Amino acid sequence: MSNSERQQPALIDCETAARALYDYLDGRLPTATMGAVHHHIEICRACAGHFTFARRVLELVPAALPLGDESHALRLRIVGSLNAEGYRGE
Amino acid sequence: MTETTLRDADFDETILAALPHVVRFARSLAHDEALADDLVQETYLRAYRSWATFNPGADARRWLFTICRNVYLRHREREARVVDTSGEVAELESLAAAMEHGQADRQGLGDLLDRIEVAPAIRAALAAVPEVYRTAAILVDVDGESYEGAAEVLGVPVGTVRSRLFRARRLLQQSLYKYAVDAGIVRSTSPPSQGMDA
Repeated sequence: MSNSERQQPALIDCETAARALYDYLDGRLPTATMGAVHHHIEICRACAGHFTFARRVLELVPAALPLGDESHALRLRIVGSLNAEGYRGE
Repeated sequence: MTETTLRDADFDETILAALPHVVRFARSLAHDEALADDLVQETYLRAYRSWATFNPGADARRWLFTICRNVYLRHREREARVVDTSGEVAELESLAAAMEHGQADRQGLGDLLDRIEVAPAIRAALAAVPEVYRTAAILVDVDGESYEGAAEVLGVPVGTVRSRLFRARRLLQQSLYKYAVDAGIVRSTSPPSQGMDA
């Protein structure tokens, strides 16, 4: 077997790709498996659409939940309860 | 400057600075804002009382999340239940999600994200995800924790974080679909969740 043949990614089916979806998006697969999944979504339109959708949802999630805008009242309440414990900060 | 003042200045810089993150985390645990505020207050009280034990090199946010989650769990201890989160279940969930999406894509879900107001839809969808899964998603997908960091906060193995994350993400996609159906953006044929759950 030549080097170029050895470097060809393994062929996987849609089911295998689907099982690897989130591990692939999180980059948690071994290199060879990453390559195989990547190759599959390059040649499979249905899976490519699904992976793109899943990736976009994950990209949009953080912006949908901005940092908690704690109210001034909550901060005062926390500091007040800490003061009762001897806290002298802020 | 007294020792107490120095200690409290450190607390301010390290712990109080993380307040917005803790508020977001608490709200993800408890949908009720008043309860979330109680959780945050109790978290800070416990953090202050344990401040002497905090390792200065440790991740303060992760420490606070752990305390917050423990406070929350005690609050709802009576409702606690065991959930099957094996890796195989997660893989099947992933497959089911793919199959669902294949169906949904034919109905126009592919460009759903361009046609709905995404942030409220995602917030509503996440709110519908059971807490045990949602917490993993908040830690990893929102707060950027590693699987290992989330495992530390949740007190579970990394594989369990992975399983919970898979399910949370799958449920999130499913809820977005339902949101789109309710909004009349995609046509409801058979709901994608029907018959797909293992």
